[in-house]
Parts: sequence; C-alpha cells; structure tokens
Amino acid sequence: MKIIVPIKQILDPSGITFRRDKERMFINREEYILDPGSKAALEAALRLKEQADGGASESGWSVVALALGEPHADDALREALAMGCDAAYLVTDPAFKDADISVTVQILAAAIDKLGRPDLIVAGRESGDTGAGQVGARLAEALDYAGITDVYALAVDRSSVRATRRWGTGYAAVRAPLPAAVTVAPEAFPPRLPHGARIMSAYREWDVPVWGLEDLDLTEADLSPRLALRREGFPPPLETGEVYRGDPDSVAQELVIALRLQKLIS
Amino acid sequence: MDFSFPKEHELFRRMAREFAETEVKPRAKAIDREHRVPHETVKAAARLGLMGVPFPQKYGGMGGGETGYCILMEELGRVCTSTTTVIGAHIGIAAMSIYLDGTEEQKMKYLVPLAQGRAIGAFGLTEAQAGSDAAAIKTTAVRDGNEFVLNGAKVFITNGDIADTIVIMAVTDPALGAYGGITAFIVETEWPGFSIGSLENKMGIRGSSTAECVLQDVRVPQENILGQFGAGFLTFMKSLDVGRASLGAGCLGGAWAALEASMQWARAREQFGVPIATKQSIYFMIADMAAEIEALRSLVYRTAWMIDTGQPHILEAAACKLFGSEVAHRCIDKAVQIHGALGYSRDYEIERGWRDQRITEIYEGTNEIQRIVIAANLFRPYGMRIPT
Repeated sequence: MKIIVPIKQILDPSGITFRRDKERMFINREEYILDPGSKAALEAALRLKEQADGGASESGWSVVALALGEPHADDALREALAMGCDAAYLVTDPAFKDADISVTVQILAAAIDKLGRPDLIVAGRESGDTGAGQVGARLAEALDYAGITDVYALAVDRSSVRATRRWGTGYAAVRAPLPAAVTVAPEAFPPRLPHGARIMSAYREWDVPVWGLEDLDLTEADLSPRLALRREGFPPPLETGEVYRGDPDSVAQELVIALRLQKLIS
Repeated sequence: MDFSFPKEHELFRRMAREFAETEVKPRAKAIDREHRVPHETVKAAARLGLMGVPFPQKYGGMGGGETGYCILMEELGRVCTSTTTVIGAHIGIAAMSIYLDGTEEQKMKYLVPLAQGRAIGAFGLTEAQAGSDAAAIKTTAVRDGNEFVLNGAKVFITNGDIADTIVIMAVTDPALGAYGGITAFIVETEWPGFSIGSLENKMGIRGSSTAECVLQDVRVPQENILGQFGAGFLTFMKSLDVGRASLGAGCLGGAWAALEASMQWARAREQFGVPIATKQSIYFMIADMAAEIEALRSLVYRTAWMIDTGQPHILEAAACKLFGSEVAHRCIDKAVQIHGALGYSRDYEIERGWRDQRITEIYEGTNEIQRIVIAANLFRPYGMRIPT
C-alpha cells in the first residue's frame, strides 16, 4: 500500500499581525512551519500504516510526503520524515512561482505520476494560510481517483477506503474503491510529535530529492494560471450579535421577544 | 562567527517546547502540590527519545549532543524545574558518567536502557559528612574475589528511589585519598543490600524525589567499576563539568519564563491609570532581566558548542552553573516583585518558580564551589593552587 501525502509549508501565523485600520498584513517574523492541515494528513496516513503493519516499515507500506513550494519547504519535508514518512520529495522551480490552484494541482499530479501513482492520497482539508480547501478534491479529479473530503475517521483494506465524513450537521459513513484521494479534518487527527532521533536523522542522514520543471511532464497549458489576483482586502467586520438601546424596561422587553422568536426561551 | 543553531536543533527545540507545553506544564502545579514524581511525563519523554538527548544513536540516544541537551533543559526549565531536575539528573550525571567513562560493554548494558528511558538513572556521591568536600566520603568498597562489597549511605540523591541504575562513589583505598582512593561503581538498585532510607521534604522542586540510599553489603561485580580503578574522583568531575552547562540552560529557561510572565503582567496590570509596564521602576527591572538572560543564553550555548567540539570547558561550564543560577535568582525575584502580592500567592506559578529556583544555587556543586573551580582554572597557569 502506497500513500502519498501532499503537504504545504506556510508562514508561521504567530509571526503575522493583521491591521484592519491599515488594510494590511504585517509579517513581523518570517518563519515557516509545516501547515497544521498537512500535519493532520501526515498523522492520518501514518496511523493507517501503523495499524496495518504494527509500525514495521518493511512490509510493503510506504508513506511519501510531497511538497510544492519554495526551496525552504525542504524543512517541512524533513519534519514529515521526522514524523515517520518513508520518503519526501520537494517540487520547486522559479517557473512555478505564480501557480494558482489549477496549476498547483497539475504540478502535483505530474509529480505523483513520476513517483508512481499511489493507492491512496491523504491531504489536509485546507491549509492554514490561503485556506481554499481545493487541492485534495481537485487532485482526485485530475488523477481520476475517487474523492472523499472532510474525513473524521479513516480505514483501508486491499481494495477500498472507508471513511466517516462530515455531512451537513452530522456524519456519513462512506466507502470508495482504491485508488482514492481523501482530505482529513485537522481536529480528528491531532498530530504526533516527531521522535528526537528521527529529527536528527531527517537532517543528517536522509535525502529530500528536489524536482524542477524539467523533471516533470508538464505542458505550457498546465502552467497557465486561470485565476488572476486583482486585489487583496479585508472582509467586512463581523457583526457580533444585535445591540438593543433604550431605557432598561423596553430593552428587556425587546430582548425577551427576540429570544422567544428564536425559540431560546418559552 | 555563526551564532545560528543547526536546523535539526531548531526543529528539535520546537518539538521540545511543544512537549513542555502539552505534557509538562499542565502537571507542574499538581506535582509540586502532591509532592510526586511525574512518572507519566517521564514515560512520554522516553517515547520521544528525550531521556537520551545528548548521546549517540548507537547507544540508544537521540544524537543531539550537549547543544540538544541544553535546548531540552531550557525548554523544560521554562515550565517546570521539578521535571527538569528528574530528567537532568538522569541524563546529565547518571547516564553521562557511563557515557563518558564506561566500557563498550557497560554502555550497551546500562547506557542504552537509560538513554531509551527504559531505566532511570541516579548518581550517588553526596554523604552526610561529604557534600562540597566530596573527597570525605565514607562509603567503602572492599574487594572480595571478583566482587566488591559496598557499605555506606548516600544522601540527597535525586531520583534515588526511582532509579534502576545508580553510579556510586566509594572509597577503595583510604590511604590514597581523593585521587587514587575513590572508585565509581555502577550499581543496580535491585541488588540485595540496596535500600532507600528517608525522602527529603523540600522547599522546592517537590515534583522530584530526593532520597537517602543505603548500601549494606551490596555485592558489585568487578566489571561494574566505572572508569579506572581508583579514579572515581575524575569520573564524577568530568560528568559534573558537562552537567553544569545544562544546569545553566535550565536556569535560562526559568529566567526566561520569569521575564515572559513579568512582561505579560506589566502590560495587563494598571495602577495610577496606566499599565505598570510604563513605569520606570518596572521597566528597568524588566530590561535588567532581559539583558542578563541574553548574556546567559550566549554563555550557555557557547559552552555547549565547546563541549560538542571537544574543547576544554571546565571554567565555562562552572560559569554556566554559577551565573545561570544567580541570573535565575535575580529574575524570578524581580518577577515576584513585579507581580506584587500575586507573586506571593501559592495559586500562581511565580511563587513555585521562586521556591524551585533556590536549589540551583546549591545542588551539583554549590555556587561557592563553582567559584573555586573558576578561580583554580584562572590561577593554574601561574602555578598557584587555590585552596578549598
């Protein structure tokens, strides 16, 4: 069983402040972290492998991390290795700089083809920076895999994947044939801390191969973005609740009526 | 000059911090109150390789060197000095002495389980009449065929009652004194004749245990001599030298936590209509804390680098322990002052920090002993011996 986990490196949100008054995002500390959504995906994939083979890596299971990003995304891949991945690959090229989601998916699909198509792709539901929540589902489309999004529980056998996914306000138990691509809910797969010795080995012993444009089978059309960014801005401020003004008696009366209408009191 | 950490150490620090925040910090208050060792934390640390951070991977360690070990101590020191003490005594003096002076067989037999956290270690030097004057120990080891028979009592032994393996210093030739007459032995605490006397009821680090270890006709095989026969004094001096740098790192964490808490409180607490952080009397204290912490951080990690690159480091390591414990003292004391009555309250971690800090000026060689070590190293090139 081969699992590929597409991961992403993001700017550490704790080093960023948002100033609504200036309509700007300030990067106080440019540090990068492995995206929490990616960490959950790694956790979900590693659990599948461990449940299957008791943690022994020689029994035909492999979990491979794949990142598209800047050269410094190497650090995210080494963290993935430290968490327990068997291999990690970085796809980076100045030509990929303006990739939108459709280009990102084409590049990842080409890299996955080069790696050898896996039985299962496990991705995060959405990343902690742009949060579009599209890569996993669109990868399934691009590779013609079955796709399941927003997964809270996951199991595989030889030919299928079973998952519990969010369905409206509840959950649905679903099954899909392999190969498949799933995206996982971060709250359902709190990630492990990497073992210290694996952290050391991830930097000192193990390699993270780097692929560029010339290593992948991509056409001009694959690399043409379909989205053009016109402007970035802040959404309107959230209205939190409703404010009642006036003398205490009438405000109290209005409040009681409002709560009754909402069926919060009877 | 390059003051940056290797990338593996940066990632390790993030892991260690998350471990400290999620596993250690939530228990810190309770283990202090309940006066109990956090065995569950030790188990969790072992699963992540944290019980053998400095040692090479071939001995079951993490391969993080002294730099990695100092990072662990700093991050633990930020949240709980008790846990720092339990893990520090295990790694820094018990396992370290076997790593530095053990034979290959001893390392395989004793260091590997210690580094993997399957066994807990302790170091038995101090006795009722032999603290700073370590050469005055009375515990004896008498040869009987291929074995030695150990008799005596060790006091104030961190981890003494929870250890599986303890390194014991004993007199093998009273006529030869410190150099030549003292030998280190690796003792398994399950062996007949080893028992625990009283446990100390301490002011601070109450989440670590400090035990009296009694040896009554404990038979130790000859192959468990650690280092050269008669050279036990060198074994413990070497181990303590390395241990002192990491003690400084633990103090660095504690001082940093005091600064963080003080800054947070000074921004939030308003008096006379403004946050107290805007008062010179407060921000001068905070600036002094920050300046001393920066100096300590440089000292600690430069010393760790010296140890990792095999340079002489006795003076620097002693300075880490001396300066580190005193910086921690001043910082936590200022933090109490900045927090006012709240800093004196048992419900708040500042008070625990103040009690926990005090021991760092005493254990693993009092600060007075550190000054002797430093002065002796300074004057030795001039042919002068510093009397103790």
